[in-house]
Parts: sequence; C-alpha cells; structure tokens
Amino acid sequence: MESPKATESPTAVRKVVIHLRATGDAPILKQAKFKTPGTDKFAKVIDFLRRQLHRDTLVDHFVYVNSAFSPNPDESVIDLYNNFGFDGKLVVNYACSMAWG
Amino acid sequence: MDVFSWDGTISSRDFYAAARAFADKWNRSNHGFPPWTWVPSPKHHHLGLPLNQVNGYLILEKLCLAESTDQEHLSSKEDLDIDELTQARNEEVIFSKEGEPVDSATLVEGNSAGVHHYDFHIVYIASYRVPVLYFRAYWNDGQPLVLDEIEKDLPASSAKVLLESKWTFITQEEHPHLNRPWYKLHPCGTSEWMKLLFQSDTSLAKNGVSLELYLVSWLSVVGQVVGLKIPSELLKH
Repeated sequence: MESPKATESPTAVRKVVIHLRATGDAPILKQAKFKTPGTDKFAKVIDFLRRQLHRDTLVDHFVYVNSAFSPNPDESVIDLYNNFGFDGKLVVNYACSMAWG
Repeated sequence: MDVFSWDGTISSRDFYAAARAFADKWNRSNHGFPPWTWVPSPKHHHLGLPLNQVNGYLILEKLCLAESTDQEHLSSKEDLDIDELTQARNEEVIFSKEGEPVDSATLVEGNSAGVHHYDFHIVYIASYRVPVLYFRAYWNDGQPLVLDEIEKDLPASSAKVLLESKWTFITQEEHPHLNRPWYKLHPCGTSEWMKLLFQSDTSLAKNGVSLELYLVSWLSVVGQVVGLKIPSELLKH
C-alpha cells in the first residue's frame, strides 16, 4: 500500500497519489489515479487533466479540492496534500463548467 | 443552511458576517499581505441616512503585484550595489544641471518603473446575491493603468480567459459605492462554482454552509485571476 506521509524523510522526493474525480456531467477518466512527485506544481495536475479530457476544447474546467477550495496552479502538490489530503491521496474534483463566461 | 439545497448565494447580512470573519482571520494570520478593512458605504452618508455598518465593503489597498509577476526586473534592481546607485543619482543631477527640460512626472515614473499598485474591493451585489471583486491599478505616482497594462500583470491563464470571454470576465464598470469606473470580475458564474466548492466538503455537507469559510473559498477562485494568493494558514479548518 502506498501511503505518502509528510512526516517521512524530507530529503527523498515524496510521491503523492492524486485521484481525479468527475462531478456533474464531466467525463470520467480511464486513468483517474496516478502518482506525481510532491515537488510538482498543481499546474501540472491541471495540464494532465486537460490533456486527458479534450486537448483543444475551449471549455475550461473548474478544478477544486475537498474543503471548498480551488488551489492556485503555483501551489506544490505536497503542500496541498498536507492541507487537504487524506487516506494517502489528494482528491481533485473537476467540473465542466467555466468560472467566467 | 443545507449544502445540497443551497443555491450558492448569500444575503447582504450574511455577507457582512462573512466579511468580518474573513478579515479577522486574514489579519490575524502572520503573512506579508496588507490587511482587509471593512468600510461602511459612503452612499448612505450622502443621502443623509444613518451610517449603516452592515452596508459596506471590504478593501485591501496598495498591493504590489509587480513583485511576483516581474521578478526578473525586480531582482536585477536588487543586484545593483550602492556604488551603481550613487552613480545613477549623480547622473540624474548632471542631467538637470545641463539645463535639460526636466519633467517631474516622467522622473517619478522613471524611478518607479515596473511597480504597479493594486486596490481590491470585495463588494456585495444584491442582484446576484454574491460578492464581486472590484479592482484598480496605478503607478507609483497615482497614474492609473489601462487594461492592456493590467493584462501583463495577470497570470497566463487569465490572459487566455480574457481573450475567450471578453465580456463576461473583466469589464470596467461603475463602482457601486464610489460611482467611479473600476474593473470588476463578472459574477454570473459565482453562485454555481460556490455551490460546487461547498458540496465537495464532507464536513460542510454534515454541518451546513459555513459563512466563515465563504469568502476564503470565494477568494481561492477569484484570487487566481488577479494573482492574489491565499495564505495557507487560512485554509486549515
């Protein structure tokens, strides 16, 4: 079982399990769970999601984590995991609605 | 309020409570940002009505956004050592001694090149029943920035949205309390995404809509547009 914890050795690059969860009428991904280095920016997760859905679509996706919060793309995955992660993973919800327009 | 039957909007009284709770939390946590302050609406005062505390808005002023977006420029400035700075000063003096026409306005601008100040106001809009972000930007000397200049300060994702949704994203409109033109973020999607955000939270689903969290959640989305980050202390609850 993979259970990344913030308290483990600080030198090794910790991997965080991301679970992308569709809400509303957003399409469900074939590969909804994956691991990513904790040092990565959240922007990388958003990019991954965009590529998995429709690359060229103009419709943007509204991305948010539990705790009623939409992370800044500049946040590191490990910081988000430490604040919002549970059960060894960071659940990232996405909806096919645009925040603007 | 039950999260699942809630429509994502709040009343003006709720906004007042949410704003006070949010400002308290923001100002208590120790980070480098300027404070949020509650300002009673001047409009009521002008109309001769008693100053109503509940009718007002939140302000955060003189935030330097150039620091984060124009780092290269800023770091090169910091790299200058004292000798170079002194030399630069001397040159300035020589310039004016030579009888060059000195335009004090351009001098000020030259010294503060690249520093943009931003004022943010969180205003409750009764027709949408949600908070709306109003903002303006200006140079050190007070000269306002036009949207093209502001656009360069915005994160890349915002510049993209600006192209795609020109009229439903950032528009210039009259500030509801000050009656001057300010930029604002369009509120037509706000209640929908506020609903999504709150439904994602399992403890909220049990305990109902938290007014204390409302503006933190709201700013987590709105702040991304203008590059205003939320200190991580505010997220833990």
